[in-house]
Amino acid sequence: MSIRALWVITHEKGESVKLQFSRRYPTVEFRAKTFAGAHYVSVPEDCDIAQLLLTELGLADPDKPYIVARDDCSREQRSPALELRVGSSGGRTVWPVLTIVQGGLILACLPLIEVPPDPRPPLPSMASISQGLSLLSSLQGFLCGTGGKAPEPEVLVSRLATLPSVLMQVCPLGTPLDTLPQSGMLPAALAPGPGGAQKQPAWKTGVHRGRAVVSVALTEMVRSMQYGNQSKQDLWDVHGTVTCKCEVEGVLPNVTVTLTLPPNGSPLQDILVHPCVTSLDSSILTASSVEDNDGSAFSGPYKFPFSPPLEPFRLCSYTSQVPVPPILGSYHLKSDDNQLKLNVVLKLHESIRNSFEYCEAHLPFFNRNLMGNVDIKVTSGQLEVSKEKNLIVWFLGQKFPKSREVTLEGTIHFSGHFAGPTDPMCTDITAYMKLYFRIPDLTLSGCCVDQHSVQVYSSTKPRIITTRELLSSEYYVWNSTGDTPVSSGPVIL
Amino acid sequence: MASWNQRIPSFLLSPTQFLSCTTSETFLAELLDKLRDDKANDSKKILLLSVLLEHPTVLCPTTSAGEETAQELVSILNFTPQKSISLKCHLMLAIANVLICTSCLANRSKVAEDYLNFLFTSIQDTNDNAGGPALHAVRGTACECLLEMETCQPGLLSQKLEVLYYLKQQETTVLHQSYCTLYTQALRNAIQILTQQKDVDNAKFRSVLAGNEGFAWQSDKLAKSTLSVSMAQVPQLPTTLDFKELKSIMSLILEESYLMTSPAQAALLRGLVEMVAMVPGISPAIFKSQLLRLFGTTNVELMHATLFMKGTFTDSLFTAEDEHFLLKRLVGMAKHPLLRIPEKLFYMDCILHFPENRPISSSGEECLPVLITPQLTLSLFPTVFNDSTTMLCRLNFLCLVHLEANEEEDGQGLGYLVDHVMALLRIVDNHGSRETVVTSFRAIFVFLLHFNHMENLSEKLVHRLRELYSRNCHLAPNLINLTDRIQERFEDSLWSVRLLKALQRCIVGLPPSQLTLQSLAWHLKILARVAQESQIAQRSTICFLLDILVNSNLCERRSWHVGAAILAVCRNLLQHPTLNQMFIELADLLQHMSGHYEDTDIQDHARFYYTLLTNLSWEKHAGILAKAPVGGQAKVRSLSAITASEELGSCLTVLQTDSCVLQLIKADKNDSQDVVPSTEVLTEKNLYEVYQEQLKTPGFASEVTLTYSLTHVNTTDPRFDRLFTICLHFDVDTSHYMNVDDIYVPCLFRDRKPHRVSVTLKPFHPYPTSLQVSAIFTTEDGQSWHTHLPDVKVSFREIFLPVPLPPGTSLQRKEDVFDRIWDSVTSGEPSASETSLFCFKTGSNTLADLIEKNFQGYVIAQELNRWKVLFYLPPLFHVLLAIREGEDTVQVSIATDNWELLPHVNSYLQNITAHRNATADEESRTRTGIRVEF
Repeated sequence: MSIRALWVITHEKGESVKLQFSRRYPTVEFRAKTFAGAHYVSVPEDCDIAQLLLTELGLADPDKPYIVARDDCSREQRSPALELRVGSSGGRTVWPVLTIVQGGLILACLPLIEVPPDPRPPLPSMASISQGLSLLSSLQGFLCGTGGKAPEPEVLVSRLATLPSVLMQVCPLGTPLDTLPQSGMLPAALAPGPGGAQKQPAWKTGVHRGRAVVSVALTEMVRSMQYGNQSKQDLWDVHGTVTCKCEVEGVLPNVTVTLTLPPNGSPLQDILVHPCVTSLDSSILTASSVEDNDGSAFSGPYKFPFSPPLEPFRLCSYTSQVPVPPILGSYHLKSDDNQLKLNVVLKLHESIRNSFEYCEAHLPFFNRNLMGNVDIKVTSGQLEVSKEKNLIVWFLGQKFPKSREVTLEGTIHFSGHFAGPTDPMCTDITAYMKLYFRIPDLTLSGCCVDQHSVQVYSSTKPRIITTRELLSSEYYVWNSTGDTPVSSGPVIL
Repeated sequence: MASWNQRIPSFLLSPTQFLSCTTSETFLAELLDKLRDDKANDSKKILLLSVLLEHPTVLCPTTSAGEETAQELVSILNFTPQKSISLKCHLMLAIANVLICTSCLANRSKVAEDYLNFLFTSIQDTNDNAGGPALHAVRGTACECLLEMETCQPGLLSQKLEVLYYLKQQETTVLHQSYCTLYTQALRNAIQILTQQKDVDNAKFRSVLAGNEGFAWQSDKLAKSTLSVSMAQVPQLPTTLDFKELKSIMSLILEESYLMTSPAQAALLRGLVEMVAMVPGISPAIFKSQLLRLFGTTNVELMHATLFMKGTFTDSLFTAEDEHFLLKRLVGMAKHPLLRIPEKLFYMDCILHFPENRPISSSGEECLPVLITPQLTLSLFPTVFNDSTTMLCRLNFLCLVHLEANEEEDGQGLGYLVDHVMALLRIVDNHGSRETVVTSFRAIFVFLLHFNHMENLSEKLVHRLRELYSRNCHLAPNLINLTDRIQERFEDSLWSVRLLKALQRCIVGLPPSQLTLQSLAWHLKILARVAQESQIAQRSTICFLLDILVNSNLCERRSWHVGAAILAVCRNLLQHPTLNQMFIELADLLQHMSGHYEDTDIQDHARFYYTLLTNLSWEKHAGILAKAPVGGQAKVRSLSAITASEELGSCLTVLQTDSCVLQLIKADKNDSQDVVPSTEVLTEKNLYEVYQEQLKTPGFASEVTLTYSLTHVNTTDPRFDRLFTICLHFDVDTSHYMNVDDIYVPCLFRDRKPHRVSVTLKPFHPYPTSLQVSAIFTTEDGQSWHTHLPDVKVSFREIFLPVPLPPGTSLQRKEDVFDRIWDSVTSGEPSASETSLFCFKTGSNTLADLIEKNFQGYVIAQELNRWKVLFYLPPLFHVLLAIREGEDTVQVSIATDNWELLPHVNSYLQNITAHRNATADEESRTRTGIRVEF
């Protein structure tokens, strides 16, 4: 249960490839040799790693249209584990290499195989696989933070600089002892545990001293695909996370957070909990999105007793099926020579609180010449036309009007002499509008954390802060007069 | 010299390149020197140590080198100041690395033993009671080093379980996890070693748990067997033992597991599962209390450990309900929006290898659990918005699901999958990115892997791909790759042929106006691939090619690339089994190209193919052409490689050697092949007459056979060590000799005996001559060579034969024949007869020696001081010598029936008499290959 090597590589669309970090674990390699015997293949030298990985990831030689080694249709790209073909003939392979690719950043590691290597064992039979996946995930969190965006170059450089010493703590000999601290934050010097009989958990390097504060933040994301078409069913779903930060005294303080749903709310599904949750009621886990639930399903309250770590953490996450999308859109395009006639209507559902932090609709146009004359009127909000990007942004502000309905109408002439952006999906009048919004203090599922339901068993009464918000994520409204680039199948987001 | 800040990274980047300019010993010595340097700061030293931390075996290739280095590092560690904690930790890890990797630990080196003691002493200071918080990190590192040593050398701590248990109980700081892991690992290994022993009783078992002795140095073999544990056949401890104590120990560990981080917790759980599997007296129910927490976890390692538990204990811990629940959970996790992509892919893999309580097969192959239904997996349908890997993974998964569901071809689920593939192709059609193209072709491959047997579906795909190609001919390499791979997977599948046929139809039906040089290049690639299919008729291809050559300005465009691509098609056509049916068309095409294509190279190649086509049978040129690898693997290194691969080029070319490779050496004439053709019993009377008659018979005794050894010359060129199918060719002076037939030698190896060859000369005139010899042969790599051999001199005496009388003819009767010939010669019969006299002085050797040496075998009669010698020279000449020894001279009377031989006879006699010593030399020197001319 260990990893043989770990790499961090940066590249820009397959060019200026650089091995930013590499760490090998020779004692694990020693074991790998023992296990594999005649099948042993040594880890390639650092100077070769980047190219091998880029080839397997299909990123090598971006200027060449077709290379067998990179583009062969029988390469098993469907597994989370890659094989690197080493040696001049490529006959020997280093397997299984796990990778996480985020923008121009590639994280890779090679877990140890502790079972006979031939025939190639299934991934789930190897303990090191999940260990490698977990290590890469936490490495990604360390380098990039949780935002999902690649860090600024100088931030990356400074985080990479501290990586060796962090790994010395977390994974000195190839067996991970802990996850890496997130967002490159090194643990602050903390008051050591009080000693005594109570054992200090390994995931908590000290104890909190000072004012007790517990923050519980509930964030729901809503995704949607609206086609406005009889033959294709509109889709939307919701997933939520509960993030906690608990500044509470004591080595192992007990905290309980309870999620509640409104009386007729649909149950929370696919609940995943943080390892610090000490016990779970079986009913909490019963609802699943993969099968139809009958009305009798458990619908709360959902109690999560836990002993918190010091840093913020994701207590639990869930999915939910809600009856309506918060904003129903309709998008009609009509093509006429070099111009498009637009008609957009957005309706805010009556159950949704009409108070946005922001709400924007983005209407991009692809595979056309650049925009010329734009003649569009809206009943509410402001427009911003970006002619060089063929993009129209409609700022709807904080509120929909009383009618809860806004429209956009007009014509765009694509009379420019230069071609605008292209997209293989949005040809002809296949087009979409994407919505971005945030509504504070609202969840679509109705799920909430009542301030009073947060229980903390400690000597001092902590301050408790609870928040909730609804965010859009991949919220698309497709032009109902054009084809949509999806199969007619049971597309689930 | 570059600074350490540059040298260390350059070493780490490529140790082999780095060490090509220095040796590992030198570098290691420098490294250790610098580590001992008090002036160097800690961070510099830590940088230096990274080399030993990552590549210890490169710097210490042997155990003894490892020992020395470890010893050095230990002494450096001892002199490192207390406050340099980080450096100390790095040093400790480096020492552990060196000891383990160079087998010092396995070989129980002194330094390894000392170091183990040092580590073990360090970890006894629980809660930093003695050393204080400053040594906390060092103690933690010591724990990790010990754990790694126990892992690599299982059982090492198996006699120290009581101490380790006590320490684990004592420790309350965050290091508690390290102690707990160390104890669990040692306990697990100790139990496993016990399961391999016989006669384990309660006392022994208890003594292991309460062990407080030294380190247990296992044999290497035992250690290795312990290292690899296969959960399929777990050996168990005897059921008779009392496991109460062990059970309480394990329960306690499990109870405290929440104190550990997730990675450590997952490892601990696995260790405990393995132990329970080995101990029959402890029920898996011990884990029951943990299950719910594990089922709900978001952590991939804990979930994986749970599946491991499921696989190990199956229905002794998991009910059918649990199983169903777990599967649903996995499906839900495989698409959970809040998990990362690799984790979701992994969960999909976990479903395909789900440890069912009642598995139908246990092959380890991908296999759907029975409970997975199309309904359950609706949410895993791939979409065009998925990233490539997820999409392919889901597609493969759903293909399996619908294959398992035995859906008909028009089934709904299957229809959705086809729709999806079509949606992908639509994006490709709209100029999707390279990644989209590759992903789409992979998707088609995955789909066909499962459904190529479904006629309508695969036909639909063929149709769509043809349509796609007609608009996007740059997809040619992808399409060729797809057909190749499908053909490899399904030898009997006709799908590839159907696709290629469709593509051929598409191409040959293109209106000429749509052809550009660019698109033609792709079409020709496809047609070349089509031409490899024996089941596809090729006439339309040829007509298409001829049409574009004749009816366009292609020939005048002089594009070498296009010409070469057309020839590549022709080349495949030449090998096509139905060549006979399109012979004329292909010949027309090649002839047209050889005449009209305005590129000399293309013309030449076309002419060459034309010649092959018209002169060789199909089997022959297919054989020649097939020598080149098919399938585009050949590296293009020369121009001719594109039309005729380099391998073919070299196998058609005969190369010339730079110098002599072979030689012919005269063999000892021990088996003189006297020509004795007649078996007639001759009466005394008519011997001479019969002999005269025979001489008139054409071909009688007209040949001289000379025997040579064919050997390598002394210069060694390993390419020519093994030669095959050697053909020796002789050029002779045709005014005196008949042409000599070529001689074939199957093989000649330098390390084996030379090969004997017999060269048969048929003289018209038996004069000395020299043969020019050359050879053509093949080397092991299949190349043909031509070489010249040193000339072979044939001396006058080599042509002498004994008179060809029947064997067993008595000397008396030979003398009779001699006399008869002598008489006839002296009487001027035949007309070319002549007599002569040669005199010489005898030297130190007696005349008898001379005669014996030179004329033995030819002497017919011998009296005191008188000898009669008869040489026969093919085809029908005689030289007769009557030798008489006088007081101080020897008279040799010569008679011959061909006076033109007299000068040669004369010089021959001069030679043997004047240089009698030299003659002796000559004998030996010819044998060594240096010829002496007469």
